[in-house]
Amino acid sequence: MVDVTARTDEPELDPGSPPKLVGFIITAVVAVAVAVVLAVLFWLQGYSSPSGTEVARSVGTATVNGVTLPHVTLSFQTYPDASGSVNGVAIHPGGNPSWPAYGMTNEFQVPAHALVTVTVKQYDSGGTLNNPWFATVRGTVGGVATVNGKSVQSIDPNDVAHTFTVRGTPGTDPGFFLNVPLLAVGGNNQSDNGPYNTIVFSFVSGSKGIYAWNCEYPCGTMVAGFGGTMGAYGYMSGFIHVV
Amino acid sequence: MEAKPFFSRPGGKIFVIWLLMTIIGVVIGLYAPKHLMPQMVSIEGHRAVLTVVVFTVLAAPVAALVWAVGTYSLLAWRRGAPETPPEDGPPIRGNGPLTIVWLIVTSFLCIVLLVWGLAELSADTAPHSNALQVDVTGQQWLWTFGYPGTGVQSRTLVLPVNRPVQFNVTSEDVTHGFWSLSLGVQIDANPDVVTTLLATPNKLGSFVVRCSQICGIYHAFMYAPGKVVTTTQFAQWLQSQGASAAKADLAARVTP
Repeated sequence: MVDVTARTDEPELDPGSPPKLVGFIITAVVAVAVAVVLAVLFWLQGYSSPSGTEVARSVGTATVNGVTLPHVTLSFQTYPDASGSVNGVAIHPGGNPSWPAYGMTNEFQVPAHALVTVTVKQYDSGGTLNNPWFATVRGTVGGVATVNGKSVQSIDPNDVAHTFTVRGTPGTDPGFFLNVPLLAVGGNNQSDNGPYNTIVFSFVSGSKGIYAWNCEYPCGTMVAGFGGTMGAYGYMSGFIHVV
Repeated sequence: MEAKPFFSRPGGKIFVIWLLMTIIGVVIGLYAPKHLMPQMVSIEGHRAVLTVVVFTVLAAPVAALVWAVGTYSLLAWRRGAPETPPEDGPPIRGNGPLTIVWLIVTSFLCIVLLVWGLAELSADTAPHSNALQVDVTGQQWLWTFGYPGTGVQSRTLVLPVNRPVQFNVTSEDVTHGFWSLSLGVQIDANPDVVTTLLATPNKLGSFVVRCSQICGIYHAFMYAPGKVVTTTQFAQWLQSQGASAAKADLAARVTP
């Protein structure tokens, strides 16, 4: 049988006594400190890009389907070795050797509802897509891209180095979708400063928000080629900040 | 010693709290799902809402019992409270009516949940001869939807209204989860395996498809837009995606 009278022998605590108040303050301070540290760490880890954000450059205006839009340009590269450097600048600071990477950053900023013309220099080798659907150019102006000056609607799905695939999300532009396959460099002499293919395409940016992009060519390791560089943020994935 | 009235005793007070919480739970169960869940665009979606309502209402008195005892204990028997907790009574043994009622109520609840769940599952997987076939492929970190016989593959899931749809779900790489709350469907997408699921869109509108299995760094962005359109609009959309007029019409047509 439980002796319910036993607890009456315990010392009574005054709710306003100093020990209880001090305990509350210590608990609150520790909780706030932990929350602040976690928030800072999350921010630093989650949305840090290897080399800052590449901001699109304004070049005036352009007319698309009869509508005049701000016109900006953006350029980036795809390299076969993330640990390398170009003109003395590291492609991916602390990058894993043998992992390919987008460079010199993986975060871009473009204005909303603008014509964005992108120039990509692609230095990497390639292979076969898991899904040939991504070998077709989708979401660009005219549904085309130029590869070394030649206009194409798609490329050989067996000769793809990477893709630049962007999607909208609920809260931004749910229907926004962009996919540009990047033609592989042939031969066996790929390097961060070697031969490259130049791919140019234009698209009309969506509403303000953060859009995620990634590569759909299995250029990583392990399961279906989507481990390694594909599974680590900042190499074959990033964000476009539409402002 | 004169016995206290029932509602003055802890058991009576707990009963009152239980009754109030049960009423609140039932009201929430009846009205909250339709406001918390997105617009349903399929028969299965509406059945999912009904299932949530029924299960919530059935669970309300059970959950309320736990909460009522807990709430009363925390408030009335807290440190420094004027009321003294009752001593533990002897274990209840040999109370036939209580045992029978307890067994009947709990068995009824379990059997209802089991039968209801199996019936819903069976309805979602029963083959349909006139079902529109849609190949659903998950890959890190996008969905693509193929329409066999038309050559169309799309990132947007477009479905004709009032026609059963059979989703043939697979994955190019790791395990994903094909999940659309508005359609009332969810099934794993496994590599090298095709799993099937049926739904019948019955309302024009938009919906979203997400991945329900954590599948990598961009799992949160594995999303696809979807919409339910008329049969004519569906045929037109197939043509706009490259299907021939004949194939588009054939794919969109509803066989009587």
